[in-house]
Amino acid sequence: MKLERVATALPRHGWQLLPLRFHRIDADSVVLTNLVGEHVFVTPDELSAVVNGTCADQELLARLRAAHLIQVPGETLPAELLAIKLRTRMRRLPDSTGLHMFVVTLRCEHTCRYCQVSRQSAAKNEFDMTEETARRALELAFRSPSPHLKVEFQGGEPLLNFPLIRWITAEAKRMNKEHGKDLAFVIATNLALLDEEILDFCAEEEIHISTSLDGPQDLHNGNRRRPGRDSWQQAVAGIRRVQERLGKDRVSALMTTTEASLGRAAEIINTYAELGLHGIFLRPVSPYGFALRGRGGANYDVDRWLQFYEAGLDQIVEMNRQGVPMVEMYASIIAKKMLTNADPGYVDLTSPAGIGIGALVYNYDGDIYASDEGRMLAEMGDRTFRLGTVHDSSYADIMLSDGLLYPLTESITLSAPMCATCAFEPYCGADPVFHYATMGDFTGHKALSAFCRRNMGVFTLLLRKMRDDPYFRDLLWRWAQ
Amino acid sequence: MSPADGAPRTGAEATGAGAIGAAEITLAFDQATVNLDALQRSAYAVAAEMTVDIRVSGADYVCTFFPRKQDTTDDELKHRFRAEVNDQILRVRIAKETEPLRNLVFALAFSQTGLVEAEGA
Repeated sequence: MKLERVATALPRHGWQLLPLRFHRIDADSVVLTNLVGEHVFVTPDELSAVVNGTCADQELLARLRAAHLIQVPGETLPAELLAIKLRTRMRRLPDSTGLHMFVVTLRCEHTCRYCQVSRQSAAKNEFDMTEETARRALELAFRSPSPHLKVEFQGGEPLLNFPLIRWITAEAKRMNKEHGKDLAFVIATNLALLDEEILDFCAEEEIHISTSLDGPQDLHNGNRRRPGRDSWQQAVAGIRRVQERLGKDRVSALMTTTEASLGRAAEIINTYAELGLHGIFLRPVSPYGFALRGRGGANYDVDRWLQFYEAGLDQIVEMNRQGVPMVEMYASIIAKKMLTNADPGYVDLTSPAGIGIGALVYNYDGDIYASDEGRMLAEMGDRTFRLGTVHDSSYADIMLSDGLLYPLTESITLSAPMCATCAFEPYCGADPVFHYATMGDFTGHKALSAFCRRNMGVFTLLLRKMRDDPYFRDLLWRWAQ
Repeated sequence: MSPADGAPRTGAEATGAGAIGAAEITLAFDQATVNLDALQRSAYAVAAEMTVDIRVSGADYVCTFFPRKQDTTDDELKHRFRAEVNDQILRVRIAKETEPLRNLVFALAFSQTGLVEAEGA
């Protein structure tokens, strides 16, 4: 490697630029980021002086040098350190795929207004996964290089096919005697069918429960409909039972923002706090399937969601100030990417994208999808992200398929228009399924992309708050750990 | 700043601009000082607010704006595009100056992963 010859090219006035990107936070402030997302705030005039090579502010130059935004000609250490940090951020890539989602049934006793996939009658067994399909899916899952394997049971409502959950768990553990992977299980359930037998099983097998909770009773039951109109009561009772039996840390909840949620951020967060849930993920509704229909709850734009998100974040910060621990999960994922060299591996915020290499989905019928959203598109008639089937596809067939590699390579942010020069590229990710679903191609036009607008809004919000509020900066540092 | 400094000129100032009509919103940029790549990147970046037609006219690039919303004034469009062009000029300059170091960092980062073969291997 001709390190010294390259590194001493382009001498400037005692210092030279390292690869950097910038974004204007507001009229008085610009954030500069280096190749791995370390950042420094400067003024617009300082930005011009730095890029034009006229900056003589030694204090600023020292800050920029410390953040690997400039270097003294002849130095080799900054490039070496940046390379180590870059490699650290990407170290997950050789260890694909960690998350394997098993759609054990498409049946569900809920008819949620924003549900993308499942309106099958709870009595139709033809929408259940069979043991043979599950066994073949497990064999593929264990081919993944990842030393960590998380099996997530999805639906429909997966507890409607609880016998298969038992069977898969036992079979996975049996197979793992040969593979020795770090094996974990999650059931994504609405908890309405939770009983003592299931709790015993979860306790014995150390299974984590992930559930849905949209906020207060009227909001949740308005979104998540079931016979008896008692979805919220069932979910709350279920969360308490899991907490008592398995422990507080063994259950987490996800909320989905519908139009009815906007303006109610504080109530939603308080519902979580009252249940002893110390983390909440303020998620927008996904632009797939039934959610896009008139009553699907998706009738709001990115700006309205950002207002909701900021109100929720402010509420959470205030709770922490008053000694009530609460984490906004999306901010904590971004904080880890902004403030550390660890990549949390969140599939929507990685590049290359998380499809296939971060997660695989095995549908009830054996079809394999690159992501859950890809499966949702298929339920709407578009099988673009179907990679094969457990019945006749090999691991190589799936992972080397055009259906996976083409969207992965098309959407890499380091080469995508606008992303490549975006200051937030190290924090962001590629989402080829979202862009395909909303714009018809895997890359998407970033200037028109709701994904881009939403994430740019969140990144800018977090940086602005970090700049202006020392307490928030410390809180975000804690969330990043 | 004079046009020779790379400052944009309004449509009325643009010369030899071909089919520029009286109702069109245009800015002219001196080719000697404004990179076409920066203009094209700017046109991409402002696509949510306007579409931009870029033509060569004499020594200028003449940009014609087509706003997506009717309530945007001509001056707002011009300020928005000028600001974007200024930023893109900086980005192009940074990219050009730092490209060797960027390539070096990526080469160092991936040279030890086993994903690329060593030079000369």
